Amino acid sequence: MNAIDPRIHQALDGEISRDSLPPELRGTVDRLETVAALLASAPAAAGLEARVMAALRRPAPPGAGARRLVRWLTTPHPVTFRIRPAWSLALAAAVALLTLVPTQEAGPVLGEHEGIAQFVGRFPDARSVHVVGSFNDWRPGTIPLEDPDHDGVWRATVVLPTGAYEYMFVVDGERWVPDHMVDRLVEDDFGRENSIVIVRTARR
Amino acid sequence: MKLGLLLALVASPLGAQSVRGRLEGRVPTLAIPVVDSLVQVAAREDLPTEPLVQKALEGGAKRVPPQQIAAAGQVMLGQLRDARELLVRAGDAAPTTAAEVTTVYSALKRGLAPRVVARIVAALPQEPRGSALHAVADLAAHRFDADSAASLILDATRQGLRGERLLDVSTAVLHEAQRGRSRNEALALVRQRLPNVPPPPKPGRASIAGARRPEAAAPPP
Repeated sequence: MNAIDPRIHQALDGEISRDSLPPELRGTVDRLETVAALLASAPAAAGLEARVMAALRRPAPPGAGARRLVRWLTTPHPVTFRIRPAWSLALAAAVALLTLVPTQEAGPVLGEHEGIAQFVGRFPDARSVHVVGSFNDWRPGTIPLEDPDHDGVWRATVVLPTGAYEYMFVVDGERWVPDHMVDRLVEDDFGRENSIVIVRTARR
Repeated sequence: MKLGLLLALVASPLGAQSVRGRLEGRVPTLAIPVVDSLVQVAAREDLPTEPLVQKALEGGAKRVPPQQIAAAGQVMLGQLRDARELLVRAGDAAPTTAAEVTTVYSALKRGLAPRVVARIVAALPQEPRGSALHAVADLAAHRFDADSAASLILDATRQGLRGERLLDVSTAVLHEAQRGRSRNEALALVRQRLPNVPPPPKPGRASIAGARRPEAAAPPP
């Protein structure tokens, strides 16, 4: 930085006469006074408040709204939830009822060692079909199959303890027929074949 | 000692009475004494008795002549003895459990060679073998080589699969065969994937909702 001759300061401040200065310094003082006059005549700069208001009035650039939304969604906000204790207890009781009490449509509650066995047979001309096996002590007539739409396909869904069972279908109360839809067959020692069903636990 | 003898004397006629009670009215009268004596013999020999009762009930339900019911019972008693002998030969310490004797009896009845059954029994000394034997029998029933099937199932146990999950192994092999692979290819492919075999679908809500319990659900024999 160039050092300014202190006589220039004194002349500008009116402490000494300009005429007492050498000609080169007098020229410098003249130039400085001209610049000061120019600066004084320039219009005043806008204030901070005016600049902020102008920025607010300016239209937002495209996409700024979406960015603001994303920022709002991804920034943690404190949430205050106010509820009366009585209502919160009632809400908890309702949730417990919905989850714990079985509805009529839920069917039987299965134990840990129980599973579902589905028996299906096609007997187009049958009047009745039952499944009989070691799961019901070979007692005919206790587990009927149903054919509600009369398409000849008879079905029964039964809850049984897990394990392997031998069985046959009894058609119209007298005709013993193995289940041809399963691959597991075993001789019954009476000249026919029993089918085998393996009931697996339903809780997996 | 005296108490044990007294209990045995009381329990034997009571046991016989309950078996007769289950048979009467459902099995031809002529067959009941024979079946009853077979059950007594089986009980004395620590063999399972329930399969004998079930066979008699089955014969009665199917209206089989009494001689045939008696003959079937006698044959079964011999088969139960064979099953127990196999278990002991394969390494199970006596007395063997009724459940394991019944399991081995069922596997032999399904057509598995005693050698294959003994191999499975010896390889799985500390756990029920029912599912493993059924899995092998399922494959053998589809004309897979029983030894190869047993090797695959034992590999699956070494990979951590147990119990009912072994049935998923045989099911996976059968699915591959149904897709057109040869039996050897199907076995090899599933062996490569072990222990990753898909489990069966869980029964749907509709199935469970429509399910009912039979009136006289008996425990598995």
